Amino acid sequence: MAAQAKHDWADDDDLDELATVDLPPPQKIQNKDGSTTIIEYRYNDQNQKVKTTRRIRYITHREVVNPRVAERKSWAKFGQSAKDPAGPAPDTTSVGENIIFRPSINWRKDAKDESKDPNAQAMKDKLKDKKVKCRICHGEHFTARCPYKDTMAPIGEDAGADVGGMGDESGAAAGAGGAGAPGAGKKGSYVPPALRGAGGAAGAGAGERMGGKYGERDDLATLRVTNVSEMAEENELRDMFERFGRVTRVFLAKDRDTGLAKGFAFISFADRGDAVKACAKMDGFGFRHLILRVEFAKKAA
Amino acid sequence: MRPVLLSGHERALTQVKYNREGDLLFSTAKDQHICAWFAHNGERLGTYQGHQGAIWTVDVDPTSTIIASGSADNTIRLWEVKTGKLLKTWDFPTAVKRVEFNEDGTKLLGVTEKRMGHLGTIVVLDIKVDPEAEQSDEKALTIVCEESKATVAGWSYLSKYIIAGHEDGSVSQYDGKTGDLIYNVNVHELGSPITDLQWNQDRTYFITASKDKTAKLITAKELEVLKTYVADTPLNSAAITPKKEYVILGGGQAAMDVTTTSARQGKFEARFYHKIFEEEIGRVRGHFGPLNTVAADPTGKGYASGGEDGYVRVHQFDKGYFDFNYEVERERLNRLAAQGGN
Repeated sequence: MAAQAKHDWADDDDLDELATVDLPPPQKIQNKDGSTTIIEYRYNDQNQKVKTTRRIRYITHREVVNPRVAERKSWAKFGQSAKDPAGPAPDTTSVGENIIFRPSINWRKDAKDESKDPNAQAMKDKLKDKKVKCRICHGEHFTARCPYKDTMAPIGEDAGADVGGMGDESGAAAGAGGAGAPGAGKKGSYVPPALRGAGGAAGAGAGERMGGKYGERDDLATLRVTNVSEMAEENELRDMFERFGRVTRVFLAKDRDTGLAKGFAFISFADRGDAVKACAKMDGFGFRHLILRVEFAKKAA
Repeated sequence: MRPVLLSGHERALTQVKYNREGDLLFSTAKDQHICAWFAHNGERLGTYQGHQGAIWTVDVDPTSTIIASGSADNTIRLWEVKTGKLLKTWDFPTAVKRVEFNEDGTKLLGVTEKRMGHLGTIVVLDIKVDPEAEQSDEKALTIVCEESKATVAGWSYLSKYIIAGHEDGSVSQYDGKTGDLIYNVNVHELGSPITDLQWNQDRTYFITASKDKTAKLITAKELEVLKTYVADTPLNSAAITPKKEYVILGGGQAAMDVTTTSARQGKFEARFYHKIFEEEIGRVRGHFGPLNTVAADPTGKGYASGGEDGYVRVHQFDKGYFDFNYEVERERLNRLAAQGGN
């Protein structure tokens, strides 16, 4: 009786109220196909009644093991596991996600196929018609992130590009006329990028380019090489094109993650004559199981 | 394959070890208990409590009666596998980095750290494989490593030699009875410590893993380097798989650099190489920290890896693993099959 007198309301446990009085008893139903359905009821944190239905099929898997191994399986647990029931305890043992491991000589290639798991596929399907496409090189990135935004005009803007290209000789003058005119007048005053190109007579229509350090490049002697094998290396290309004259720059687009070539490259020659020769000779050249397509790079606007 | 994740440790794993039949798996970590697991389903059999420091190493005798463990609390302890009972404690002046039973479980070697004026040593203890027996206090043998401390060591076939891997990248062979140094060979790059040494099943050759990003297959008798496996990351562990001619390498960049890189760049994958052709044939990802230790199931059905992330992952191989053959291997098998038919 003393114990009851001491009973404090604060000690009242929620669990007491929730005693499983109104919960239906767990059910076990034997299905025709040999599986068992177990239905259990419980309360969750919000005091809502939760019905859990599990369908279980028991498969007896027979294995012949060493008698010593069999004996060890019957050992009692000890240490921190002493109180664990039979079977793997959920707090120490869990099952990881499925890993496809198939040894192969060219496993690097296979590893990429593996990325086509259903998740990625579903995502791809969803984005099927929302493809990111660069306006300059048609690569799968945003135009602003194109590595060639300063060397090539967006496709379909050829006219402007050519004008710009011609003006290149006179250097900054044409450039300023096209892009920097408003800024040139009042030195030091800020002109928003959107307005910088607006006053340009050439009408290239583009604001100032980011990463202007590439702006000065001589694009008259730059070739765009497409359909390059993804195994290609820059120095291979350099070797191939050096036959026609001095090559000042080789740029091979590579995927940042995989390190494989993306299939196109830019080759700049010191002399435009060499570039013309190379363009004529190398267009249609078979390189690493692919036929190269070589053309002059379009000047960025 | 679906790996089983074992999360019985709170800190980085230091060693995982299968018993001889491959049904039990022992794991040690920098927290202070050893875990024993059933390898087939990842059920924890129990823990061995008593060490006062990080546990560096564990080994089980061939009959799975007792296990030995070495710890940073400067002790080697002997435990009964079945009950988790502590049987014996040997004290040393410094931490114990590696223990290994010989083939019949009658001898145990321990590698002690070089620290506080004490040179690194390899000690040998006589063991009675019986939980009831009184173990001797005396060391049967002490080998002092004067030049470069030993980091790992093991018993060769018939306990004939003790092979040790050193901090400077060399491997030495000592006589198993007298402890005399027979050979010392520089196999790995000078100054890159050997991090692991594991035997093939008959203990005639072994594999070493080193921080110089290579693993090497070396004979026990002549210390001849048979094969070299080149990886792109410092290696912490290497194991030879039975049944199939593969080796498993585990590594990843140093633990202190882990937070600065993503899991993908960190190279936290188990790498499989063909033992004969020295070519990488696949990787298994999953850990999100460097792999500190790998162990191959002696039955050849799977392997376990323990990482800096505190998880042990136990893998059972799929059919593809067993089916893979090089062209020459396939031809040989076909030829043998044809001969068998005639």
